[in-house]
Amino acid sequence: MRNNNSQPYPVFLIRLSSVWYRHFRVYTKSLISNGLPAFLEPLIFLAGIGLGMGTYLPRMQGMSYLTFLATGLPMTAAMFTSSFECSYGTFIRLEFDKTYEGMLTAPLLVRDLFIGEILWCGTKGMFFSLAVVCIVALFGLVPMPASFCACIIGFMAGVMFASLSLFITSFVSNINHFNFYFTGFLSPMFFFSGVVFPIQNLPKALQPVAEFFPLTHVVRLCRGIDLWSFSVTMVWDFLFIAAFCVLSASFAISRLKKRLVL
Amino acid sequence: MSVIDVTNVSKSFDKIKAVQGISFSVPKALCFGLLGPNGAGKSTLLRMLYGVCNRDHDSNASISVFGFDPQKNSLAIKAISGVVPQENNLDDELNVEQNLNIFARFYNIPKIQAKKRIDELLDFMEIADKHKAKIRELSGGMKQRLLIARALLNNPKLLILDEPTTGLDPQVRHLIWEKLRNLKRSGLTIMVTTHYMEEAFQICDTIMIMNKGNRIIEGNPQRLVADHIEPFVLEFYKKEAYDSVFSMLGSQNARHETTGDSIRVYSKDETMLRDVVRVLKPGEFFLRQSNLEDLFLKTTGSQLNAQQ
Repeated sequence: MRNNNSQPYPVFLIRLSSVWYRHFRVYTKSLISNGLPAFLEPLIFLAGIGLGMGTYLPRMQGMSYLTFLATGLPMTAAMFTSSFECSYGTFIRLEFDKTYEGMLTAPLLVRDLFIGEILWCGTKGMFFSLAVVCIVALFGLVPMPASFCACIIGFMAGVMFASLSLFITSFVSNINHFNFYFTGFLSPMFFFSGVVFPIQNLPKALQPVAEFFPLTHVVRLCRGIDLWSFSVTMVWDFLFIAAFCVLSASFAISRLKKRLVL
Repeated sequence: MSVIDVTNVSKSFDKIKAVQGISFSVPKALCFGLLGPNGAGKSTLLRMLYGVCNRDHDSNASISVFGFDPQKNSLAIKAISGVVPQENNLDDELNVEQNLNIFARFYNIPKIQAKKRIDELLDFMEIADKHKAKIRELSGGMKQRLLIARALLNNPKLLILDEPTTGLDPQVRHLIWEKLRNLKRSGLTIMVTTHYMEEAFQICDTIMIMNKGNRIIEGNPQRLVADHIEPFVLEFYKKEAYDSVFSMLGSQNARHETTGDSIRVYSKDETMLRDVVRVLKPGEFFLRQSNLEDLFLKTTGSQLNAQQ
């Protein structure tokens, strides 16, 4: 009794792109208010710490302190924009706006919703890291044109922090709990992942811990590409990022599925 | 051939049995209504039809929508169905047209075709002047009509509506009923849940009354009323008025029901009820024909349950 006249449903990639398009349209509707903080924050940090304290600091890893910061901050821009989107943003869509409930009445699966969302965050990560690179490039702080390539790492950072944040969100039942994630995890990571100072300056015992921070790996890749100096460590960075994305995204999706499909 | 076939389906949430061994089928181009108090299991049953709620595992239980099992192939079902959810989930950031455009993308409808379809549907739902309106500027009735338009974007063969007119004013409700009847005439199969007996009377060919996850009664609404309930009701709003005529209300051919401080006496014997009315003062009583609401109260019990 299969109905032969049925319209075929859209294929996987079309479904992902339609989810991506939904987020793109909603986000860009108020781009200035949504995007300005994500864009300005790293620049304010660069100006405040880099220009202020930087004059008292020695060169780090063979570059001026301003350049050291400017080659790491595009990644934190990607990290924060993507983390906000997939924590507070996802939670609001899930619990308050019932956006996913509406989307699931269309030919989409739970998996499509979240992979589409992760890819959207990758795009945001790429966009904001590029925006930061453009500004710091104006002041001649980063080597050009290699630094433009860093936006590819910005995409990876966006994807990685989206996957992680979705995983965190899948446990959260009260929106205030995200404070723990931001203050307890993302903020410390900002300081101890080689953005503000090299992880070699951490106490010996803590250095291996930094290797488990996702931010460490994208920062090392970004800086490596900016300076066009490649090392074997970067292979480990790539592998870490890939494994981290796959694991956290698949756990996140299977947990969120239980919240959406009862 | 049935569009929907549900056989022996149950659903438990922790210890609560939301749906218990329900079976029904919906033929093409008819409207099937699920009626019941809050917590009866209506919405759960609807959600199982398009795969956002999984039935309890049981080899004797099955659901088929257009021949597809929603647990295995929800995409095939959703591609040819439209769903109007209970809660408004339009994107406030976008205007009317943009909201529909997003869904047209979900259905992979080409741009030009989508534009034409959106114009048609806004016209059909009589909100054609709201193309560029923000969602916040729309009244409840307009939002609901927009949700129905959204569910019709893909030219569905099945329309699923969860309480489509709850909280709307009478004009909008009549407009929505008229549209649903139009759609049914054009061959669309409709599955609806409602609390409103009038709604069921207006649009449903078959209704199933549910209570606490169980099927109570099923059939054509007019016929159910004729077969299962006395044709006349005398309603009292004061217990004293009822007491004063109690002896006149023959206990043989009358059924007495109390809800709070109002009392209803159901009977086949219209002459007897008219005699009683003659000795009462205006405002103390209301004599009317019984309707689906009376059947609903009779079958689901007139007391509130914990979830209401």
